Amino acid sequence: MFWKKKNNNSLFLGSDLTIANYLSDGVLIFDKNNKLVFVNLQTEEFFQIRKEKILGKSILGLSRFLGFDPLVSLLVGTTKEFFRKELQIRENFILEVTSSFMIIDGEKCGTLVILHNVSREKIAEKMKSEFVTLAAHQLRTPTSAVKWSLQALLDGDLGELNKKQREILEKIYNTNDKVIRLVKDLLNLAQIEEGKFLSKIVLSDIEDIIQLIVNTNKSLIKEKKLNFEFKKPKDKLPKVMLDVEKMKIAVENIFDNALRYTPSGGNISISLEDKKKEIEVKIQDTGMGIPRNQQAKVFAKFFRAANIMKVDTEGTGLGLYIAKNIIEAHGGKIWFESEKDKGSSFYFTIPVKESFREFITGRFY
Amino acid sequence: MAKKILIIEDDKFLRELISQKLLKEGYDIAEAVDGEKGVKSVKDEKPDLILLDLILPGMDGFEVLVKIKEDSEIAQIPVIILSNLGQKDDIEKGLKMGAVDYLIKAHFTPGEIISKIKAILK
Repeated sequence: MFWKKKNNNSLFLGSDLTIANYLSDGVLIFDKNNKLVFVNLQTEEFFQIRKEKILGKSILGLSRFLGFDPLVSLLVGTTKEFFRKELQIRENFILEVTSSFMIIDGEKCGTLVILHNVSREKIAEKMKSEFVTLAAHQLRTPTSAVKWSLQALLDGDLGELNKKQREILEKIYNTNDKVIRLVKDLLNLAQIEEGKFLSKIVLSDIEDIIQLIVNTNKSLIKEKKLNFEFKKPKDKLPKVMLDVEKMKIAVENIFDNALRYTPSGGNISISLEDKKKEIEVKIQDTGMGIPRNQQAKVFAKFFRAANIMKVDTEGTGLGLYIAKNIIEAHGGKIWFESEKDKGSSFYFTIPVKESFREFITGRFY
Repeated sequence: MAKKILIIEDDKFLRELISQKLLKEGYDIAEAVDGEKGVKSVKDEKPDLILLDLILPGMDGFEVLVKIKEDSEIAQIPVIILSNLGQKDDIEKGLKMGAVDYLIKAHFTPGEIISKIKAILK
């Protein structure tokens, strides 16, 4: 150990700092008064600064040096013993900052900050999702052209069709629509992975959002002769902080599965419950259910259960993955109970305003 | 007199598909294949409505929209954006810049696009 506590509870740095000095990660050590007492070579390199200039400065005092601002606001804003967060220092330069209190004999005697350069990984991730976005957009022109020309044929714009011709054209049309849906899902996915997922967060009613999704599916509910019930609590639910567009996608993806995989005449219900710190939403169906041995993978990307693949080839396997990411980005949880051939119940929670605020400020990256 | 629709779209096949549908519905049409020609056509043809793609060679659709809205002689012509870009940012940007509607190509059929046009030209 290269630091020791002296009898007056201040941090004593031993003479053997060579290892710390040559680590490929940046290392900074602050004493219990938040004065900088050690920086290694890599830190000097990261911030392009000589250690003589910054040693002895307080955390706040560092903010007047170029490039330290983001790090200072991060360190000042926290009272946690340990945290890890990604921090953009400048364009294309991202550090993963790990900060932990150094505690000797139950007493804090300093803070150790480690800076790990993750720029390469982050840039690669960004390029990957940009590629997906670009490819998906490029696919939209040809799929639109196919959709439009098939529609022209089906509308009889180029002459009357016989029954067989119509049937096969309708099949092509539906297949093409599946590609269009896949492209839409891929674009949502790329957005999630770019981490810019929640954009406009406003105080809203989850009930209204669910009602909206229910309304757009009314004709399908009728067509499949499903018994549908939306159970709203008697008392008005508290409003929640939501990215409305994203929450609509999440609810739609879950509800769409219930509609799709519940046979005609089955039951579907949605219920809402006020759990004080959060609102719990339950979407229950009497559909095909998920086989037990596949339940662990339900929220994985591109997962489709074996039993549904046989009856329905439309799904993309991205719906629940996207829904889970959206719910979790809001600080909520998602889970389910399911039995094959009996049905599934999907639950998710949305924190009320106060809990959401805690979640957003105390978020670990 | 038949209403005139200007289609600014670089993809030949898509342009043809939508033009044919519009002609069949009894509209006059004008076409432009890129942003510069699009702006010029708006001035020359004075259409009743413009269908505007966003990703165009050279001047893009957003720039075309700016040029249209800057010119008081043509600024009042309704513009419907018809694009592949479906991100919320793009939609909001387009509507904020004065487009009357924003349709994602793959999610609408020509028939639905025409219903939108009819509703706007009413």
